[in-house]
Amino acid sequence: MPKVLSNGDELDVDLTEPEIKQIKNLLERDPTITEWGMFDVMHSEHCSYKSSRPKLKLFEDAEKNYDYVLAGPGQDAGVIDIGDGFALAFRIESHNHPSAIEPYHGAATGIGGIIRDILCMGVRPIALLDPLRFGPLKGNPHSQWLFKYVVKGIADYGNCTGIPTIGGEVEFDKSFESNCLVNVACIGLGTIEDFKHAPSKAYNPGDYVILMGGSTGRDGIHGVTFASRTLTEMSEADRPAVQIGDPFTKKMIIEATLEAVKTGYVRGLKDLGGGGLSCALSELTGDGGTGGDIDMSKIFTREPGMNSFEVMLSESQERMAFIVKPVGLETILEAFRKFEMAHAVIGRTDDSKVLKVKDGDNLVVNLPATALSDAPTIPREEKRPEYLDKLIAQQTPEPTKDLEEIIYELIASENICSKEWVYRQYDHEVGVRSVVKCGEADSGVLRIIGTNKFLAASVGINSKHCYLNPYEGAKGGLVEICGNVIANGAKPMAMVNCCNFGNPEIPESFWYFSHAVKGMADFCTQLRIPIIGGNVSFYNEDEVTKTAIKPTPVIMIVGIIEGKENIITLPFKQTGDDILLIGDTKAELGGSEYHSVIYDLEGGIPPHVDEKNIKATWDFIFELYKKNLVKANHDVNKGGLIITIAEMCFKNNLGADLDFNGCYNDKLRDDEFLFSESVGRFIIETQPKDYNKIMEIAENLNISVKKVGIVIANPEIYIKGLKGNYVKLDVNKMKNLYEATIPNLMEI
Amino acid sequence: MTIKIAVIQFPGSNCDLDTLHVLNNVISNGIEAELIWHNHFKEAQFDGVVLPGGFSFGDYLRSGIIAAHSPALDEARIMLKDGKPIIGICNGFQILAEAQFLPGALLRNDSLKFICKWVNIKVENNKTAFTSKMNIGDVLAIPIAHGEGRYYTDKLKELEENNQIVFRYSTENGELTEQANPNGSLESIAGVCNLEQNCLGLMPHPERASEPILSPKQTMHGRLFFESMVEFIKRRVS
Repeated sequence: MPKVLSNGDELDVDLTEPEIKQIKNLLERDPTITEWGMFDVMHSEHCSYKSSRPKLKLFEDAEKNYDYVLAGPGQDAGVIDIGDGFALAFRIESHNHPSAIEPYHGAATGIGGIIRDILCMGVRPIALLDPLRFGPLKGNPHSQWLFKYVVKGIADYGNCTGIPTIGGEVEFDKSFESNCLVNVACIGLGTIEDFKHAPSKAYNPGDYVILMGGSTGRDGIHGVTFASRTLTEMSEADRPAVQIGDPFTKKMIIEATLEAVKTGYVRGLKDLGGGGLSCALSELTGDGGTGGDIDMSKIFTREPGMNSFEVMLSESQERMAFIVKPVGLETILEAFRKFEMAHAVIGRTDDSKVLKVKDGDNLVVNLPATALSDAPTIPREEKRPEYLDKLIAQQTPEPTKDLEEIIYELIASENICSKEWVYRQYDHEVGVRSVVKCGEADSGVLRIIGTNKFLAASVGINSKHCYLNPYEGAKGGLVEICGNVIANGAKPMAMVNCCNFGNPEIPESFWYFSHAVKGMADFCTQLRIPIIGGNVSFYNEDEVTKTAIKPTPVIMIVGIIEGKENIITLPFKQTGDDILLIGDTKAELGGSEYHSVIYDLEGGIPPHVDEKNIKATWDFIFELYKKNLVKANHDVNKGGLIITIAEMCFKNNLGADLDFNGCYNDKLRDDEFLFSESVGRFIIETQPKDYNKIMEIAENLNISVKKVGIVIANPEIYIKGLKGNYVKLDVNKMKNLYEATIPNLMEI
Repeated sequence: MTIKIAVIQFPGSNCDLDTLHVLNNVISNGIEAELIWHNHFKEAQFDGVVLPGGFSFGDYLRSGIIAAHSPALDEARIMLKDGKPIIGICNGFQILAEAQFLPGALLRNDSLKFICKWVNIKVENNKTAFTSKMNIGDVLAIPIAHGEGRYYTDKLKELEENNQIVFRYSTENGELTEQANPNGSLESIAGVCNLEQNCLGLMPHPERASEPILSPKQTMHGRLFFESMVEFIKRRVS
């Protein structure tokens, strides 16, 4: 790590030599030590996206190309217009490194950060979703510890702020053992007017700059640069870089901020997250084309004797920066007083285009406002890993166990089993909007009071598929997450993503990132889904074990359902109804749960995505919805179609009489058909009288639809028509296995 | 007549807007409910008061203890004596217990975890200001969401004799079993009232159970609480 010097102080920075040179040339002087610190943070991968930016250009310009997108990538959150005067804001972010070191506060402050991102769009945060990844739980106390305290951190923070956690995802895989992934997503709801009142820039000279919320302390200094390095044994010593969350203060910040925004006197709004004041002030003034004059002595600190370096770089939680019209200053301060929130007017904007911070008589920061946000990009090499060919060539062994035994083992596996242990700890009902609740369907569904609309949201990705083919894996993730909201009756409206990858300086790691981004870009362009935001987390690898995490481009989709009658849920409802399989099943067992659970194999051929076919399948589903032909829908996902059917039996304690004769290609083996994770498939429940009508629509759209059985009252699943033996499964036994796995591992 | 109900906002209340929504948009029926910031509350202007759920003052120190010392509780104490209806839901119950409007205490759930789920409660007393629209033995479907809801009292006998136990957790059929008791509450107690029966505290959330669209079985048992309150107020003033 290079050292920089200023006035006798020295500082280790993560900047490259060319960056150091560029900075000195720009300023035509040596920066102060505070300025060096600010450059260091703002040029970190986490703040500047210096490795990822060139690739992210592949995403089309959502604001330009979709008329309902109000804010796209580069803002604190993406915003869409959903009609009736309402806007939805959403974003997803990672908090991996802090959570790997201090799971409770790491996860909690992750929630805190994402809430602030939504809040600074001027809207009320109304839902949280958390995709999480850990090492396998079984026999692994470290993974259990991380899992337990990450969930508790999310629960304690989210519950206290009164924002329901309506969904999420948990994946267990060896590659996440020491570098767990904690991604957090938040959705906000407001009127279009609310959103317009809160631009994240200070565009008017002469406005007041107000800091509101928690006090500035020494915690989290250099948290951002910490997130841009790989985890090492030294990381334990980084513990002071993990911030401490205060959900109570956050709740008050939410209320005080929304009250302030409603006055119309707020002209700019920004949360203090990574990079603290440095980041917020330089972005506000830099993006707004103004400058600012800040008096450091006005900033209220938690401990005495903090120097300008510490104050400007502190990442203390629960702080917001407001740009306020002079005429409204007293009204805004009154709102803050009502909520008993600490606040201070710390300076004013001006037209100098320079950000100045004074510490007494000393000018400790004197930088062109845009200098900090103009970090150079770094071209990274990419190379396809050599091990991939060998992995993909892995064959599925001949089963040595009965299919029954395999299915029971799969349903109890950590990645497939019920996650009730997690969501019971989350308040998923506060806000009186939760219409479809955790565990009841593929996505969480909230009503939007004052309209006849409902939003459906889902998050996730299959990292095992991405490991074998990041391009197809990312596309497959989109198919699946869109499939989740579609299964609930929603039209996918927009996507945000959170790219969790290894060290971008390693060509193989960067190859994964590059191809996953291309997959997302290609799919979204073709299927017309705007990408309205993203977050990149690199350096997710463990230097001790020399392993990178599996590539994990987590996807979040928000969709809209028009009308209560159009909400579809997952459970089978009526004895005698048809069970239809939509979509083709191929021998795609690469990265499947079947391979991993039964044979401990990671390889094989992963699912391939054919966009034209996916588009036609979605059109078909919506055509059936329009004609009211679907009584239950569940997308086929981890474990394959038999797991999907079992999950549909659980809630109403029903069974299924299945006959797969003629439902699959002769070349497929029984296990390939049953456990393939081919994407884009759905299992739907329909009425027998509608069968001909449905098949006619399928033929017109050239969609593969097979009747695979009927719903029966007896809670058993009979499988006929396989090449091998007749299979009989006990639904109650499956349900018990499904529900017991995590409590058995965690409640000791 | 217009019935004025105050929904008190403590710093950290988070079911305040939900309760307001149910009172004004779902029950309505002559109700004019208003959000009142805790230290602006003046009891004389209101016919009844709701202390909503949430994490008042962050649940720091102990759930409800800081809010129990808010000036709002001094005002509420006047209402209590005047016989006006007061209901504390979840954190509101914790506050009322800490302020000694109600007997007993709410301890950490026996699982040591926060629990959010739909449960059933059985009506034990329909003479209170909030239960007149119910029958004894009725089973209500209603959700809970709390980390500290295990009811405890050392005056169990007294409560039983005075008919102060208003709800117990039960199965769908009204049986009191260990499994149906989500948090380990003493004698499955989910809600209690004061001697005069104008003040009720309970851990479950009636405001989340007042609209069929939010209920797993399309019930709306939560409305009964607020409708009973309206009836009580009307009877009281007439």
